[in-house]
Amino acid sequence: MSATARFMGLVGLASLIACAGSVDTPIWDQPPPPIADSPVVEPSKLHRFELDNGLSVIILEDHRLPRVSLGIDLRRGAASVESDRAGLAGFTAELMKRGAGDRDSLELASAIDALGSVLSVRADWDSITAQIWGLTRDLDNMLEILGDVVLRPRFDDEEAVRARGELLAALERATDDPHYLERRFAAAALYSGGRAGLPLSGIPETVMALDSAAAREFHEQMFVPNNAILFASGDLDALELLDRVGATFGAWPAGEIPDAGPPLPAPTPTERRILIVDRPDLTQARITLAHEGISRTNPDRIAASLLNEAIGGSGFSSRLMQRVRADAGLTYGVSSRFSLYRGGGTFAVATFTRVAEVRTVIDLLLTELERARREPPAGLELEEIRALQVGHFSLGIETSDAVLNSLVNLEIYDLPEDSLDTYRSRVRSVTAADVERLALELLHPDRAAIVLVGPADALVPQLQDLGPIEIIQP
Amino acid sequence: MRTRNRLVSSTIAFAALLCAAEALANPAIDDSALRTRQTKLDNGLTVLTLEDHTTPVVAFQMWVRVGSSDEARVTGLAHLFEHMMFRGSKNIPPEKHGQIIQSRGGRTNAYTTSDMTVYTTEIPSEALPLVIALEAERLANLDISEETLVSEREVVLEERRMRTEDQPGGRAREALYALTFQALPYRWPVIGWRSDVANTTIEDCREFFSTFYVPNNIVIAIVGDFDADAALEQVRESFGDLAPALEIPRHVTEEPRQSGVRRAQVHFELHAPVLATAWHAPPAGHPDAEALDVASEILSGGRSSRIYRRLIHEEQIALSAYSVYSEFAGAGIFGTYASVRPDANIDRVEASLLEEITRLRDEPVTAEELEKAKRQIEVSMIHQLTTNSSIAGRIGYDVTILGAIRPLEDRLAAIQAVDADDVQRVARAYLVDAGRNVVHVVSPPASTEPGPGES
Repeated sequence: MSATARFMGLVGLASLIACAGSVDTPIWDQPPPPIADSPVVEPSKLHRFELDNGLSVIILEDHRLPRVSLGIDLRRGAASVESDRAGLAGFTAELMKRGAGDRDSLELASAIDALGSVLSVRADWDSITAQIWGLTRDLDNMLEILGDVVLRPRFDDEEAVRARGELLAALERATDDPHYLERRFAAAALYSGGRAGLPLSGIPETVMALDSAAAREFHEQMFVPNNAILFASGDLDALELLDRVGATFGAWPAGEIPDAGPPLPAPTPTERRILIVDRPDLTQARITLAHEGISRTNPDRIAASLLNEAIGGSGFSSRLMQRVRADAGLTYGVSSRFSLYRGGGTFAVATFTRVAEVRTVIDLLLTELERARREPPAGLELEEIRALQVGHFSLGIETSDAVLNSLVNLEIYDLPEDSLDTYRSRVRSVTAADVERLALELLHPDRAAIVLVGPADALVPQLQDLGPIEIIQP
Repeated sequence: MRTRNRLVSSTIAFAALLCAAEALANPAIDDSALRTRQTKLDNGLTVLTLEDHTTPVVAFQMWVRVGSSDEARVTGLAHLFEHMMFRGSKNIPPEKHGQIIQSRGGRTNAYTTSDMTVYTTEIPSEALPLVIALEAERLANLDISEETLVSEREVVLEERRMRTEDQPGGRAREALYALTFQALPYRWPVIGWRSDVANTTIEDCREFFSTFYVPNNIVIAIVGDFDADAALEQVRESFGDLAPALEIPRHVTEEPRQSGVRRAQVHFELHAPVLATAWHAPPAGHPDAEALDVASEILSGGRSSRIYRRLIHEEQIALSAYSVYSEFAGAGIFGTYASVRPDANIDRVEASLLEEITRLRDEPVTAEELEKAKRQIEVSMIHQLTTNSSIAGRIGYDVTILGAIRPLEDRLAAIQAVDADDVQRVARAYLVDAGRNVVHVVSPPASTEPGPGES
């Protein structure tokens, strides 16, 4: 890569500065060295094609290790399923792993394991992904398996009954997990009555009705090539692979693109609601504050992500981590995020603390959200967050798999192909005024839903003046 | 606490041997770790540098050879102290270390196991000199106060509630180690017992720091896009004056041979009971390690494995079930774990798992299973070699725990050499009835009162 020499030069320069400055100013007080933007993808390694049936193909060559990853991603996911069939997308994905083409469930598993490969079929809200990882020398076998799984899943009745039984048992087990309950009822608090108010994996009432016929029908509707992207990265030759992709997927007939589902309702909630999921046995309560957010394609999404990082994000030096963890010792972790989907999104702050301190922590969260509206990040704070975002982006594109995932994600949401190349300059161009405007537009602590998992007996007395409380027995 | 990924270190080379015939089509994997430069400063600090200019980022890791198994009086000290390393030094206020790294586009974190404490940073290349300076600063000038300790103890107690006290899996693991090891310091949890964490003093921290955070107990690994000469020079300059310790205390205890099945039951409100079983196994670096890895892979690697097929697919009594060989510096565990379906019986799950262990002792595994397991180990290893931090982790672990970087070719040969007799031999040697430890995490009977000490 031609950039290497340039970077070497910069490293050398930085060291010189460190030595020269060390007598007077410690290095951490010196202005940071400029960080050069490496190209995200070397153009000669990235290949894009489209088959006659509309299947998009993205291939990223990386010959460092004799490994490959390939898959099919759909531009539609669980959002296309109606409420009364919640769980159908995930159930279908699971069944696709349980027999395809000439192989039944066990034969398929044996074929994958014999290659040392891993197959994943996963349904998300806006996409469904089938992916297989393995060694270059097994590429033909892997492609054949992927072709079977995507085009010729068997949906055997016996496997459907098994998978449904497992899913029901897993839903029962999930209620043992406070984190699951927290996410499940945070969604319910925002979208109760709507599809987005139910978990991706469904609830017992909807899962009970799932069977092989429903999965087969869903697969038929969703898996059309003109709604799909084939992606591959690793030690492979793009043109050679394209030939084989044509042989495997070329005859896949185009079809009607399924509906993407309704947009997420907003604003939500319109007034404060408090949900307590009663778990009398817990010593620590989980706390989520949530309301509507923005969509994946919202033009303000980068500015919003900077605002989010300042408040909580996923790092150690956010305002909330400083207040709730470092200063007060009230939690091990506190994070915030905008979850971005095609039809809208959510904003949520999540943490956990010992039961007796729940009110203290909720007040701290609300206070910091109010303060973010009054005193949004600006000046040095904003500058440091820009640097963080730019740097983490560079760390995030260390592997070609990660780069390819991002490229596919852009395709799913019809975002510009060069979004990765322009990302860093877009981060740098976010102004304090942008962030200030968004803080007022996007943060609504006054009406955020408050969802708690813990012993209701001990929680209710702490919260009575905050708003109406609903208690849920999981 | 982690299951040391000996798999990470053992697979790569395997591809080369197994597929000697395919070598032309599939060129041998480049073992970049062999280009590591190992430097020892006069004060005993070991520095590993490995340049890889593919992407303009660098991983910096500091491996301190101290973990919970080195704790003498207060459990959880190694881990609590790891937290305190972010709470300020003479020139850096509390929390500022991480904040500076983030503001330069990097990320930093740390983890503690029973054998080591590891500080990890990934950062754009330009900022490496800053990372080296910050690491040296906290080693030379750590300055922690009573006030930060008081709040950090609470943070760790919240971590303990989250990971262990409110989690059936965490409860199972804690009980299993306490049951399996009666003498060795692996018997207490890495995060420590609640009362120890709550009562750790600033003097405990200071004494721990001066005893174990000495240059001759530390390995620094730097991997990625940087200039090794310049970095070494800076490390020499900023770490060279640290004074080594004459002696680093270690436990001398040995685990007496177990002579009978041990069982424990933990009550916890849940729908899906948890089963955990452990046998004593050899420590890191033992020649039987590869055979145990292969045995574990045959039991639970993938959906065609014995345990998946039997317990999850056929008998439908478990939601998940697996085996794993966990190695530590001074001991090992071969464990099986299962999440029992709410509609199934935990005793039945235990019996089925045990039958699979017995079968491993009684019958040789098939050639097909053997081949498949080796291949699975190989591929998972290769997938883990894609980042600077995973490579830094491998060489850091090897030098810290095994004393030297183990070439892939060696690992390859060792995995490749495992045959059906070896698998049967290690199953008979280690997975013995008299050495079995069993933990059930189940709902309490309706009338149970909490025992003394529970809260």
